[in-house]
Amino acid sequence: MVLRRDDWLDLARKVDWTPRYVAERELFPEEISGRPWLAHDAWRDWNEAYRTTYREYVATQRDKDAAVLGVRAALSKPRLFEDLDPGWVQLVKFHNGTIALAEYAGAVAELRMARFGRDSAWRTMATLGALDEIRHTQIPLLIGHDLLAYDGNFDWTHKAFHTNEWVILAARHLFDDMFLAADAIDLAVQLNFVFETGFTNLQFLAMAAMADRAHHHLFEKTVASIQTDEARHAQIGHPVLRTLIENGSCERAQYLIDKMWWRCWRLFLALTGTAMEYLAPVSARTRSFKEFMTEWVTEQFMKNLAEFDLEKPWFWDLFMDELDYAHHSLQLGLYTYRPTLWFDVAMPDPAERMWLNEKYPRWEETYGPLWDRLERRWQSGGEANTISYSLPALCNLCQLPALFIRPGRNTACTLETDGRRYLFCSEPCRWIFERETSRFAGHRSVVDRIAAGEAPGKLIDLIEWMGLTAPAETGKDLRRGLDPWRLDPVPKP
Amino acid sequence: MRIYLFGFASDDFLGRVIITPSERTVAQLAAQLVAWGLAPELGGPLTVRNEAGDILDPDMTIAAAGLRNGDIFKVERG
Repeated sequence: MVLRRDDWLDLARKVDWTPRYVAERELFPEEISGRPWLAHDAWRDWNEAYRTTYREYVATQRDKDAAVLGVRAALSKPRLFEDLDPGWVQLVKFHNGTIALAEYAGAVAELRMARFGRDSAWRTMATLGALDEIRHTQIPLLIGHDLLAYDGNFDWTHKAFHTNEWVILAARHLFDDMFLAADAIDLAVQLNFVFETGFTNLQFLAMAAMADRAHHHLFEKTVASIQTDEARHAQIGHPVLRTLIENGSCERAQYLIDKMWWRCWRLFLALTGTAMEYLAPVSARTRSFKEFMTEWVTEQFMKNLAEFDLEKPWFWDLFMDELDYAHHSLQLGLYTYRPTLWFDVAMPDPAERMWLNEKYPRWEETYGPLWDRLERRWQSGGEANTISYSLPALCNLCQLPALFIRPGRNTACTLETDGRRYLFCSEPCRWIFERETSRFAGHRSVVDRIAAGEAPGKLIDLIEWMGLTAPAETGKDLRRGLDPWRLDPVPKP
Repeated sequence: MRIYLFGFASDDFLGRVIITPSERTVAQLAAQLVAWGLAPELGGPLTVRNEAGDILDPDMTIAAAGLRNGDIFKVERG
């Protein structure tokens, strides 16, 4: 007689052997299983909310893959780009380069939990999570490969993570911290609780909604399909966090959450905030980045914190202030340093500026004059006059430019330790660095490497050092300067 | 001696690395930063502050004003 699912599933997912030949502490060393080290009794009640069998997992994943591959086949390769907005194509290129191999790092992280997680049910969930992340790597690689025939820079889907390109260095610094150099407990809190229950909604569900309106159905299917996996294995975070708190590690839990919230915010404002509001066509924008952040990330995060009686991060006011400004400032950085990127960047046109000002009522007053100045510089000296040739000051934690939140509001600060002075874009980045100085002090930003003679100081050589072949691969003005307003006949006096 | 500093001009949108001889004056340092920004053509007086917010004497050398490798300085117009 075949057992019914519910007759065997609880037994199968809770096979926790009692070790007899080694001590439990040797089997699950603190260095990689995580702190605090607790005997298995403390983890015995670890349970995920939604249980899955391997059979169910395979059947569901097969259906999801079939949906993505079905759209790919229906469109056929010659039509992959047809009718897509040129800005949207660049958004996909930006997304693919930053995300595809980060997902592979996510697979390594899940595998670490699959071996060193402290309960069998946790390890089972993480095994499925690792399979998820491998799939999330393979699908963008496949689709990026399809797109190579139309745009050679789609090879950055695979290549980006193997270069020293500065956006990628920032992404890798975060993902190494969060995924690759973390123990099982830290992974569960950082990756599953903070990153996957909050921020990936933004990159995958919000982007899926926009892809639908941008008529990029293959991208829509891909990212929506990925997010359903994330939602399942994100469940790992809650029971781990609960065990930590029940065993006197509330302060550590709060630190990990605060730290990773800030670090994820930094990367997502750079990646998602700029892409949503400066590359997606206006017709595809269902909400602003701030609205997505507020409704899909912040509110959910607050509910999660309340569930565990945890505090909102101490830097919350600064974060709320940045929501209105930071990604707009970064966009100016992306535009003026575009030869150091693998995708093209747009100057907002009049319709986009109106949209931005509707969503951010101080946008025109704050950023309008800066874009106007760039426009005047284009008119007076051509494209070369709109590119920055100075080195930007880079944060020694997030590795992103030390931006003003907005012109005139500067949060940069420094720290001197062991005879070296470090620069930070903000107090939270400095705070994280100070809490784990030995972890971060040895890393050198691109500017540090130039100062040490390890990277070239000349822009053209630096671009090559970053892995970009100029001019074929380097980022350009999206419309190559052929903006409609620039082509309008000059009015007669 | 050449040093590197991180300069933030109040009408710019990000900090910039400035490499300069420390024997130059604070006024020359401010002019060097503003020249990299989006509006180098704008004239007028410039006020320079260190990270703590103290105003630096424009005629002093960078070294005498206490700026060292890796320090922040801020330039405000007016």
